[in-house]
Amino acid sequence: MALAMLLKLSLRNVVLYRRRNAFLLIAISFAVGGVTVSNALIRGWQNDMLEMAVANLTGHIKVQAPGFVDDPSLANSLTLALPPILPGDARLYQGWAARIRLPAVVMSERATRGAQLVGIDPQQEAISFYRDLSIQGRGLAGVEDRSLLIGAALADALETKVDRRVVIMVQGADGRTREMGYRVAGIYDAPGELVEKMFIFTGLEALQQRAAGQRPLISELSIVLHEESNRLSVLQAVQEAYPDTDVRDWQALEPQFAELYNIVDSVMLIWFLLTMTALAFGLVNTLIAAVMERVRELGMLRALGMGRGFVVLQVVIESVCIMSIGVALGLLLGVFGVWLLADGIDLTAFSDGLEGWGIRARLVPLLAVEDLVGYGLMSVLIGFIASFFPARRAVKISPLMAMNR
Amino acid sequence: MKQVVVRCQGLCRTYQQGSVPVHALQSVDLEIAEGEFTSLSGPSGSGKSTLLNIIGGLDKFDQGRVSVGGVELGGLRESQLSALRLAKIGFVFQAYNLIPVLSALENVAFILQLQGVGKREQRVRAEQMLADLGLADMLHRRPGELSGGQQQRVAIARAMVTNPVLLLADEPTANLDSQTTAELLSLMRDLNESKGMTIVTATHDPLVIAYTSRQVGLIDGRISSDD
Ligand SMILES: Nc1ncnc2c1ncn2[C@@H]1O[C@H](COP(=O)(O)OP(=O)(O)OP(=O)(O)O)[C@@H](O)[C@H]1O
Ligand SMILES: [Mg+2]
Repeated sequence: MALAMLLKLSLRNVVLYRRRNAFLLIAISFAVGGVTVSNALIRGWQNDMLEMAVANLTGHIKVQAPGFVDDPSLANSLTLALPPILPGDARLYQGWAARIRLPAVVMSERATRGAQLVGIDPQQEAISFYRDLSIQGRGLAGVEDRSLLIGAALADALETKVDRRVVIMVQGADGRTREMGYRVAGIYDAPGELVEKMFIFTGLEALQQRAAGQRPLISELSIVLHEESNRLSVLQAVQEAYPDTDVRDWQALEPQFAELYNIVDSVMLIWFLLTMTALAFGLVNTLIAAVMERVRELGMLRALGMGRGFVVLQVVIESVCIMSIGVALGLLLGVFGVWLLADGIDLTAFSDGLEGWGIRARLVPLLAVEDLVGYGLMSVLIGFIASFFPARRAVKISPLMAMNR
Repeated sequence: MKQVVVRCQGLCRTYQQGSVPVHALQSVDLEIAEGEFTSLSGPSGSGKSTLLNIIGGLDKFDQGRVSVGGVELGGLRESQLSALRLAKIGFVFQAYNLIPVLSALENVAFILQLQGVGKREQRVRAEQMLADLGLADMLHRRPGELSGGQQQRVAIARAMVTNPVLLLADEPTANLDSQTTAELLSLMRDLNESKGMTIVTATHDPLVIAYTSRQVGLIDGRISSDD
């Protein structure tokens, strides 16, 4: 009841001092809008990191033979019944892919390079970056395809072309080195050179025949989920379903991405606090000026018998009103800014250097409702806290002094 | 026997202006009975405002005793003084009496709000009081849309609406022309006569003094005359 009165008073004062408040509102809304846009960009970056880490043949979760991480050879491989029986609700899973991975040496007539030979089922690879590759020549036809798909950067290094032949050396399941002749069926373009130099694809069963002596060995079962948020629970379930294997999630497999991914929230918070601290100083100053402008009026009210608590409450409510309006405008401004940037920021010029940071050639902002609500509320909270300084000013001075100013 | 509303005994107030002590009040003894309309007059700096503020619980004093409506003011905490002002005293100041963003009605109702009076009663009492003071047509005007005299009448309405034991007015007519001053004073005299309101006003305007029933003169912080 008294609050309704104070709220009415506050809103009318906001309107009465609209000129000064307009400047304040502009400052608040630009700060909040800026934070919103930068948060969306940072979230976008975080999402890219996740997608890249997951798409980079890692998946959310990977089942491997124990020891494969330390010694990625056929000696440390698995025999799993395929298709695998994945635990829990099938709707959790976007898909899975079984692969063989072998460290390999590739030789053309001109050059020799180290790489990784990956035997895949091209159909299953809809869960990895493989699905997005643009291919010159042709892609792999199926699990029995005995030809190769190599990256453009590797093709350049080897000075080879589609339909040329190369020789690949790997260590077989028996521990002996094997030399295998291959034909290059296609050359792919990936977003980064690292990938292009690293992975050479061929059919899974064809590779099993040639390197594993017909045995259905695989190096890994990669699993992709619909939701990152289910990762930990599914990880545990898969661990239980495949007890004698080594089951890890992408955070364990890609620790550097994981670290970047996990500091994002701190980065956003620090950035927000820096912006808001600057804003809070301006806010406190303006509010003190606002209170001083009304010091006679407030002194008069206290002379009439209005308690200190009421005066503090009045100033605080007014500040929170201004802050709330500013934050609301700022969030709108931020959403508008994100909408303007919806096509992403083109970073092609830097893309090679940025890839290691999980940044794509095009940084697309991502608006998270939790961020909007959370940072909006935090901003209002900061306005609330900041308003106590001017409020204290208003009650520190005696009513008589205030009225005689 | 009329009740004593204000009693001051041996009241002293010394201000420190830099290192110079200024004796604003020097041993003032004063009793004001219920229903009196008293003016405090005297030259500038004689201590009129100081005395009025001390009686109103707005200023401290160094020596002596003050009681208002039977309550001893000495030793009361700031919050107790504040509550006393709200409950027992009506104030009309020289200027800045009203909240600019509130209408006349809201300004008057506001003080009832602070007293915790219910919404409907606030409105009824505020409207009645403003109507009594001839402001029935101005309920929804804001202070900026009222003349100086009308503003002071709203201030009196606000001071009166809480039924205080004492109305204190420090130079309420200082910003008014003589015509308006006369109107405001006859209004105050009406309140004094018809409702028995005890009023103390500080002034150096002879016109104001002429309207009051008792004239207390101050010189250099001492009472020099009392008729
Ligand atoms: N806050 C203060 N600090 C220092 N001195 C003060 C203060 N208030 C009043 N005084 C001094 O006390 C004396 C009495 O002041 P007071 O305001 O009571 O006079 P007054 O009779 O109301 O004068 P006026 O007619 O000008 O309003 C003056 O000398 C004044 O300078
Ligand atoms: Mg004075």
